[in-house]
Amino acid sequence: MIETPDKINRGDLGRRLMMGAKGKRMRMIGSRIGHSALVLAASSSLLALLFIFYFIIRDAVPFFSLEGVGEFFTSTRWYPSRDEAEFGALAIFIGSGLVTLGAVVFSVPMGVFASLCLSDILPFSLRQVVKPVIEMLAAIPSVVYGFFALVVLAPMLQEKGGSLLAVGAMLVLVPLTIILIVVVSDLTSNLFAENIRKIMRIMTAAIAAAISFFIVLKVYHFMNGLEVSSGTNALNASVMLGIMALPMIVSISEDALNAVGRDLREGSYALGATRAETLVKVVVPAAKSGIVAAVILGVMRAIGETMVVWMASGNASRIPQPWFNLLQPVRTLTATIAGDMGEADHVTGSSRYHVLFVMALCLLVIAFISNLVSELIVRRARKNGR
Amino acid sequence: MEVGTRKLLDRSFTSVGFLAIILMAVSLVILLQPIIIRGGKAFVFKGTVEYRKLMREQFGRGNVEELSMDLEEARLARKPVYDLLDAFENEMKEQDSSFRRQYRADFRELKELLEELLGPREGERRRALIRKQYGQTRHDRSLVKLRHVIYIEGYDYSDTSGMGVKVETPRAELFTGTSLEPLFGILETDIGKMMKPKLTVYWRFLFDKSIDAHFFGGIWPEMLGTFYLAFGAMLFAIPLGIITAIYLAEYAGTGRFVSLIRICISSLAGVPSVVFGLFGLAFFINTVHISSSKSVLVGAMTLALLILPTIIRASEEAILAVPHGFREASMSLGAGKWHTIVRVVLPAALPGILTSTIISLGRAAGETAPIIFTAAVSVGKPLSLFQTFSQPTPALPWNIYNLATEHEAVDEIRHVQYGMVFTLVMMVFLLNLAAIILRARVSKRLRG
Repeated sequence: MIETPDKINRGDLGRRLMMGAKGKRMRMIGSRIGHSALVLAASSSLLALLFIFYFIIRDAVPFFSLEGVGEFFTSTRWYPSRDEAEFGALAIFIGSGLVTLGAVVFSVPMGVFASLCLSDILPFSLRQVVKPVIEMLAAIPSVVYGFFALVVLAPMLQEKGGSLLAVGAMLVLVPLTIILIVVVSDLTSNLFAENIRKIMRIMTAAIAAAISFFIVLKVYHFMNGLEVSSGTNALNASVMLGIMALPMIVSISEDALNAVGRDLREGSYALGATRAETLVKVVVPAAKSGIVAAVILGVMRAIGETMVVWMASGNASRIPQPWFNLLQPVRTLTATIAGDMGEADHVTGSSRYHVLFVMALCLLVIAFISNLVSELIVRRARKNGR
Repeated sequence: MEVGTRKLLDRSFTSVGFLAIILMAVSLVILLQPIIIRGGKAFVFKGTVEYRKLMREQFGRGNVEELSMDLEEARLARKPVYDLLDAFENEMKEQDSSFRRQYRADFRELKELLEELLGPREGERRRALIRKQYGQTRHDRSLVKLRHVIYIEGYDYSDTSGMGVKVETPRAELFTGTSLEPLFGILETDIGKMMKPKLTVYWRFLFDKSIDAHFFGGIWPEMLGTFYLAFGAMLFAIPLGIITAIYLAEYAGTGRFVSLIRICISSLAGVPSVVFGLFGLAFFINTVHISSSKSVLVGAMTLALLILPTIIRASEEAILAVPHGFREASMSLGAGKWHTIVRVVLPAALPGILTSTIISLGRAAGETAPIIFTAAVSVGKPLSLFQTFSQPTPALPWNIYNLATEHEAVDEIRHVQYGMVFTLVMMVFLLNLAAIILRARVSKRLRG
């Protein structure tokens, strides 16, 4: 398809390919042609990327000459099909960001903890069981996640959203506050003299427990009282995206954690650190760059995902009130492209068609830059490592 | 900090890690459980006599004598119901007009609901739509319909603070004191005799055409479309991917050009899938005019670009994993570099390459966004190989979306949607399983 022989660049072919081809001109030429074909095939991904950029930009630029730049980025009025069409995509950008943010909040801590567990805590035999679980999560097609979100999760959220949220919040909050109480009481008791330290510790623990019990109870009641008017909302999409981004975050950051040498860990243990201290203070800082790269790639996966957000996010082009309210429906860039192209397809050349390419260009640029950044981070880390 | 606190922190850290893993496993189970259970019901379910009638009339399957016996029994069981309807109709004619006005609308609604449940009455004219020619073919659906007949659903908004509460009132209350009142009791007790449910295994769900927009029948057009798209994508992506991998692994050094290519490969892997779809539309269809509008060929090419990075990376890894001794041995026997690669390195790396291609086959089969604008349509016939060059096709991932969101009777065909999801998930899992087994065998061989 791409290997047209007249495009061959003969300049950078210094090496000979065949051994024992001395004097045999034909063979030399043959090997050169072969090598050039190889180079050409290998640059197919370069060509593909260039073509993608060129054709997306080519169809995106007319929008700006038709409609200008300002409205697209600043207005929230998205009415592409009206006679007086309006193309304000601010709410859509915010929707994309909100859904991604929700996914990150959910998946990054979980993914990092899971990868720590995989690399340092689980015994080898259990690891062999967990790995396929992650691979299965990664293999499930996105439309299946979307279907689940739409058909199973959305009605569930709509019916008992408040109590589900309350239970979820309790699952996170209760263990967290218990740990916090113990740590706080330990730290504050050091302020007192040796003889009353024990009593003070118990007292601070009791006070902290009382306060946090009160707060947790308040949170529980607040969550329980929440009513979810529509099951297809930003929260639904965020949770699904979070689950989808998990395998990528886990597998890449696990690679990074495994690349940290045994000697670092053993040194830390030898100094008397516990496993948690070793992991938090030694291993994670050493694998920092890999984990950051993993998170960036996971975020990219969440931003670029189409089917799940299309089916689960509710597709309402407005900014939630207040902006962090995940229980309201939002609309994202990818869902807008997928949903509107079906109608805009018939009016090729109109601003309604081109605006979708502008959105695709934004997605492409975001993906390209974050990919470069993560690549750069990994490379620098590799260089430093050596 | 005290030692006790440090220990506690350490333990809680460990348990949070375990919790994360467990949550992941639990979410997988929660995700798969409804898909497997309800998806299985597309294949194994209680089929009613209407189902067997449909199979006989539309596909020519089933035992004619058995069917006519079943139909006769069902007819006998349904007779009291129809008799009561007729009796009530006569009663309406005899009574004065106020009586008629009171019951006419309710009676018509009841008759329509009954027709949905039991199918049109014998001797009535044939309905145009196939979905109207039969009653409920699946017993779980007929029980739902029965509930609609017996109870009227309404919402109670008297508690203004919250959402409406669902209330069901018996429909019999509408007809108290008339000759129709016993009908509801008969329906409830005799529904089994009227529908004659029987456990049915419908494995042909995979290979049957769909009838009347997926109301009945199977998913063969979607299966075939998915098959074409996935294998078409492999046809383009494998040669290109393997050649690139050979170049990167065997010829390329660490020059600037090579690192540029590597960056391009990783960037290509990061491009959102919907952008691939737009690119396919703008380039393959609107610029090169490979086909005048959507077609399987364009879809396969777009998907090929999507999976190219995966194939390149995995193939390169597989080639690099071939021990260096293989190459040296071949060279020492006088083989050239190209000869060595084709005859020695590639065969040794083949299982590894195969593993990656199998996994990307699953990925290509499941991707939706790239084929929305390039290859997929909602309704279509199974294509012949030649037609794939110019015609669009239905495909599993797209039709899952389409049936779950845009179909006119989303709730009626849940079993088809679940069946499709189940099929797709199983396809992907089986492919992955094959890849895992292959990988295990390869690593054993390379080690031994």
